[in-house]
Amino acid sequence: MSENFGSLARKRILFIIIVGYVAISIVQLFSMQILNGPVYNERSNENSVKPIYQTAPRGILFDRYGKVLVGNKPSFSLRITPSEYNDTLNPYIESILGYEKGYLAKLLKASESYSKFIPRRIAKDVDFKVIAWYEENASKLQGVDYVMETQRDYSFGVMGAHMFGYTKEIPSSILQKRKNEYMMGDEIGFSGIEKTYEDILRGKKGINYVLVDSRQKTIGSFKEGKEDVPTIKGYDLILGIDKDAQKVAEESFKDKRGAVVAIEPSTGEIIAFVSAPEFNLNDFATVTSSKKFTELMQDKDKPMLNRATMGYYSPGSTFKMISAIAALEEGLIDTTSRISCPGGFKYGDHFFKCLHTHGSTDIYTSIEKSCNTFYYSTVVKLGLDRWSKYSKLFGFGHKSGVDISEEYPGIVPSTEYYNKVYGKNGWTKGFVVSLGIGQGELSVTPIQMAQYAALIANYGKSAKPHFLKAYVDTKTNKRSEVQPKYINVGISKKTFDVVRKAMWLVVNGAGTAVNIKDPKLNIAGKTGTAQNPHGKDHAVFVGFAPYDNPKIAIAVIVENAGFGSTAAAPIARDVIKAYLIKEKPSEIKNQDLALSKIR
Amino acid sequence: MKIEYHLQDRFDFAVFIPVLGLIIFGLLAIYSSTLNHPVASGNFSKQLIFFFVGIFIFFIVYSLPQQTIKMLAIPSYLISLFFLIAVLVVGKTIYGAKSWFGIGGFGFQPSEFAKLGTIFMLSYWLTYKSRDINNFKDLAVSLAIGIVPIFLILLEPDMGTAIVFAFITLVMIFWSGISLFGIFVVLSPGIVVFSSVFGKFALIFTLLLVLAALFFFKKDLFNSIVIFVVNLASGFFFDYIFKILKPHQQKRIESFIDPLADPLGSGYNALQAKVAVGSGGLFGKGFLQGNQTQLRFIPQQWTDFIYCVIGEEFGFIGSVIVIILFLILFLRLLNIANTAKDNFSVLVVVGILTLYFVHFALNIGMNLGITPVIGIPLPFLSYGGSSLIINMILIGIVLNIYKNRKTHT
Repeated sequence: MSENFGSLARKRILFIIIVGYVAISIVQLFSMQILNGPVYNERSNENSVKPIYQTAPRGILFDRYGKVLVGNKPSFSLRITPSEYNDTLNPYIESILGYEKGYLAKLLKASESYSKFIPRRIAKDVDFKVIAWYEENASKLQGVDYVMETQRDYSFGVMGAHMFGYTKEIPSSILQKRKNEYMMGDEIGFSGIEKTYEDILRGKKGINYVLVDSRQKTIGSFKEGKEDVPTIKGYDLILGIDKDAQKVAEESFKDKRGAVVAIEPSTGEIIAFVSAPEFNLNDFATVTSSKKFTELMQDKDKPMLNRATMGYYSPGSTFKMISAIAALEEGLIDTTSRISCPGGFKYGDHFFKCLHTHGSTDIYTSIEKSCNTFYYSTVVKLGLDRWSKYSKLFGFGHKSGVDISEEYPGIVPSTEYYNKVYGKNGWTKGFVVSLGIGQGELSVTPIQMAQYAALIANYGKSAKPHFLKAYVDTKTNKRSEVQPKYINVGISKKTFDVVRKAMWLVVNGAGTAVNIKDPKLNIAGKTGTAQNPHGKDHAVFVGFAPYDNPKIAIAVIVENAGFGSTAAAPIARDVIKAYLIKEKPSEIKNQDLALSKIR
Repeated sequence: MKIEYHLQDRFDFAVFIPVLGLIIFGLLAIYSSTLNHPVASGNFSKQLIFFFVGIFIFFIVYSLPQQTIKMLAIPSYLISLFFLIAVLVVGKTIYGAKSWFGIGGFGFQPSEFAKLGTIFMLSYWLTYKSRDINNFKDLAVSLAIGIVPIFLILLEPDMGTAIVFAFITLVMIFWSGISLFGIFVVLSPGIVVFSSVFGKFALIFTLLLVLAALFFFKKDLFNSIVIFVVNLASGFFFDYIFKILKPHQQKRIESFIDPLADPLGSGYNALQAKVAVGSGGLFGKGFLQGNQTQLRFIPQQWTDFIYCVIGEEFGFIGSVIVIILFLILFLRLLNIANTAKDNFSVLVVVGILTLYFVHFALNIGMNLGITPVIGIPLPFLSYGGSSLIINMILIGIVLNIYKNRKTHT
């Protein structure tokens, strides 16, 4: 036996090790729990408290009388959380949702760079049958779930695809720039009014704090929801649109291509707005398969093109009032001036045709009967640049500034323009002759035409065309009116009197649009038949009503439909009638607005 | 001569009461961490049953005649080895280690029983007649007694328990009076292996230190060469040893170095354990109120991470009370080792003390982020029947030795 067995020194060494280690443990405990306790506490809360963001319902779009145009509805969305999901389920889910093969893989790949714990929406507005299928098979569908969300509801009887626009899941390019405002999977207004007024329409997200366990599974609410932030619905928008007029306009264009824009002359508020053919906004409300999108983009009728603000048309004879106004203002002609129409106009070596032989024609008849010769001769006297100046004064050649971003400026030729396009000596003064009757390289959009009609109707005073009339803060219920941006072209009343009278005669005299004469409406207007190199002429009509106190100005273009009088004017009349003559006016006015509070 | 005993003379409450306190803390923590748990919710009642069984066996062991323990030394060791081999053949694999026998609904871990057998056998061998621990042959046999179960346990593999056995063997040899040179011979291969983790230069430097030490001890040439060759071999065999470790064990060692590097991987438990303990603060979040525990951020918390439950729900005060209870137990055991009647009894108590302390140090250390995550239970607190019952038997043995400290044979 060693003499050192259990010696005092060895006992002491063990004693020191034991006491020393206990001391170290207590110091470490003190450091962790007392000194760094708050830090660890915060970490532990972060661990187990998870914010669940609630999408706010978007603001509702109302017409000028408070009828719902675009609302919200609850819908089911199917989601995948990649951290728990096994992509061998892809074909199964694709077949249930009717997606093409490989679509889910593509969808999930697009959001690869985001946290795997955030669920991805794979289908919106899914049928209840799909939810029933999910409920039955939930145990097999690890990482798949569904949520109730509010979604745009377009079932209120109007299409309005081009003016309302669509929302879609925010693309990563935009998300990169607006990281602080949006999150993956958020909806963002992508065109039309939804885009322009995105910031007030989208409302504010709510947050529900929930307790989650280590596998991110929800256990319950945090502090009984005391810290939760409620959602705030977006502002409701009240548009200048009249639902009745809009409906009539849309129905008139069911099997046609073209556009209608109707404006209230005194305020610039847009009453009806159609670009046909249009697409179905419901197709964009669900997570659209790319197939559907390509189909729309490749359709030869271009349903995705907003013809009302982006379509370039020749105005044809409807543009004659510009030449008339310019000539009257410049003192080149007056109401007594007469020009003889032998059925055409010879300028240089070229003979420009008129449709009829009108004989001796004054300014009233020139508009009433749409005599080309009168304007060939007038515009030559006027010259290109004066004509161009008056065209621009009435809003042509630049964007109207309407409150949707899809708009083109159109083309109003001028000396400068021709020099640029043809070179200094590449064009002749003869070019101006056909401009006088609204042909040639002049390109206008329907909304410019409507604004032009509004300016004539209201003696040169109107406002920039716009959709938004007022908006309502849904939290305080405070309604704010939108101040129109007024325009005054600064042209004498005398001149307008002449032109307006002539336009009244077009419909109510012996003019080209007597077929739409209706004493109750008292429409004034001008037809046009615009030649176009690609087929049958486009039918055009601009007008306003009632003649002595205009409430509505309108422009109608029907593509490849022939005469303005037969194809375009009746549509204008129907829309005007729908707007002016209400069977039971204003009775429903507050009923729908009240409805909005429930939504 | 008849000696009048007070109750305290026959039964050491300074050992029994801290143990009881620890078991109660353990039951509370098990209750809290398994409440509403889908699979482990029955663990509290099971542990309660184990506790009553343990108390019953404790009193039996306590009442045994004092010579019984010594008589059981060789048989218990042989039975231990038999079970350790048998478990490798017919054992159940749980958490990647083949260390369990399934008996009915309960499991039995032979490595727990082997602790007892090995402590008995070492005590018996080291105190047998005129044993000299500084004799090379006697030392080699002592080491072999420890290394055979270590080797079998490593095959399961259960590194944590193997480490405990290694410490028990070392401390018992140390207590037996091994010389400085002996300590050097036993420890130097281990130090060489450890240094090889830090690269070739560290290994060469350590081997040079071994050479220098050999010159310092001035032992005969043959012995010195043998020792150096053993060191050299262990240094170069480390790669092989590291490969025996399972990938999850290798990862645990790596994650100890930087637990934040892979927070959802192997460092996850260590990090969540620290968050649980740290967030407890001074008074704790309250019984059943710890969100780390109740929301199950730490897997299998009722076993090796039971101390986090105390840390989170009972705070600094509760955590320190548990540590102090252990300290009282340790110091009391050290004291009993001093007063035991014979050297065999002394060594048994030292072995048991070492067993408890190493479990305590590695488990608390892992919960507090002081040591790597090595999966061994906290005595008396962690859930587990084999562990609790064996620990209570060991306490019974200690108190048996205490009871008999003044008797004459």
